[in-house]
Amino acid sequence: MTKGRSDIGIAQPTNATGRVYLNTLKSIPLMLLLAGLAGGCASSVTMVPPTIPPPLTDKIPISVGLRIPANFNHFVHEESVFGREEWSIDLGDSNAALFKQLFGHMFDRVSIVGANDDPKLMNIDALVEPTIDAFEFSTPGQSKTQAFAVWIRYRLKIYDREGNLVSNWPVSAYGKSQTTAMNKSDALQRAAVLAMRDAAALMIMKLDEATGIGKLGDVATPLPDTISGDEVQSSALEGQQDDAS
Amino acid sequence: MMHPDRTLRLLASLLAIIALNGCTTASVQDVRQSGTGIKAGEAVVIMAKSYHLGNETEAKYIRCVEDSLARGTKGLRVIPSAEFVDLLFPWFEPRTAPAETKNLAKLMNRPGVAEKIAEQKIRYIIWLAGDTEKVAGGGSLSCAAGPGGGGCFGFAWWQKDADYDASVWDLEGLESAGTVSTDVSGKSFMPALVIPLPFIARTQAKACHTLADQLHSFIVDEETA
Repeated sequence: MTKGRSDIGIAQPTNATGRVYLNTLKSIPLMLLLAGLAGGCASSVTMVPPTIPPPLTDKIPISVGLRIPANFNHFVHEESVFGREEWSIDLGDSNAALFKQLFGHMFDRVSIVGANDDPKLMNIDALVEPTIDAFEFSTPGQSKTQAFAVWIRYRLKIYDREGNLVSNWPVSAYGKSQTTAMNKSDALQRAAVLAMRDAAALMIMKLDEATGIGKLGDVATPLPDTISGDEVQSSALEGQQDDAS
Repeated sequence: MMHPDRTLRLLASLLAIIALNGCTTASVQDVRQSGTGIKAGEAVVIMAKSYHLGNETEAKYIRCVEDSLARGTKGLRVIPSAEFVDLLFPWFEPRTAPAETKNLAKLMNRPGVAEKIAEQKIRYIIWLAGDTEKVAGGGSLSCAAGPGGGGCFGFAWWQKDADYDASVWDLEGLESAGTVSTDVSGKSFMPALVIPLPFIARTQAKACHTLADQLHSFIVDEETA
């Protein structure tokens, strides 16, 4: 490796090998140009984890376990439009940071539950498992506007202390940011942060109402019935529509 | 006494600056619904109406109005919108922000909201709606380059319209104080004879300064409806 770099750096046309190296060196810019023309433009954005401010709401007085899936610590999404730009957005651990901060603000106590931990052995009232159902974005070229838009659909599965699934709630969030002349990647990053904040705002407003998670801490009252995911999903969607109207 | 060469250069620069600006026409109007006025130390916040409602106001325009209102010795105390939104999270996110003044009373009753607004002495929230867009354009301009050099020939023009409305909400009376609107139209030209000469109309900047000046008068003047 080191030898190769040295050969290129001091290439002298004194022998056949040297000439080959010099020709290779000369052709690099041409190859790069051709590769660029053939491949179109590719843009890559690496996201800085969002900061979720402490909300002006009362905490839900229960203790929850948060099981973060592996892809929340490294999530990369690529979008390729035929004949146009290719975009790649690396969310890094932004999703993990979002849920850790948000749940820390929303509940009295939050414990991170590992993939191999048994939540029944932990002193928690509910276990929450967030996942990403979908992540999409549109570029100004696609939307014919000056804005990037990001859509994220999370799904929260909530289990009671006995391990029964009590709620399966989809959370659809949207963020939009205008481009500036100089920096498109900032606009895409901003749109993603806004979508995450939108998800956070929706969860703060509707999580308890849509899933009944607050009741899981009350040992004296019977636990909510275990119901199928489809039933909860439709009721949660109705809740969102009510909210929008 | 200024040297004649320096005078000539200064005149040429002035002419160039005048010539390189396109044409803009601006109109501004306000509708007052209640009395205004602002006490020393009180602040205003400039916000964009939510994109969930289809609004497209540019972040750059918001910053320009914030800066223009705060500028000068008679400038107002402006709290940056990002800081305000964080302070009152989650009640001024695009999804949750109140769309009408009738929702203000309910918002003020939420835990901590009235206290944060009083702490920061926020008197007015100004909601901006509107955008700048290209509405027409034409002409033809082409550029070419060869071994002996290059150049552009032709003529191109375009027109941009900047329409913005500002709704002023009074947090003291929990009511709408009124609206200020501006409508700016700017035409830009670019003739090219080897070198292109851009005559750019600064439509959005004009709309920003026109609206900010009118908003300043609207808030500061203690007029009644």
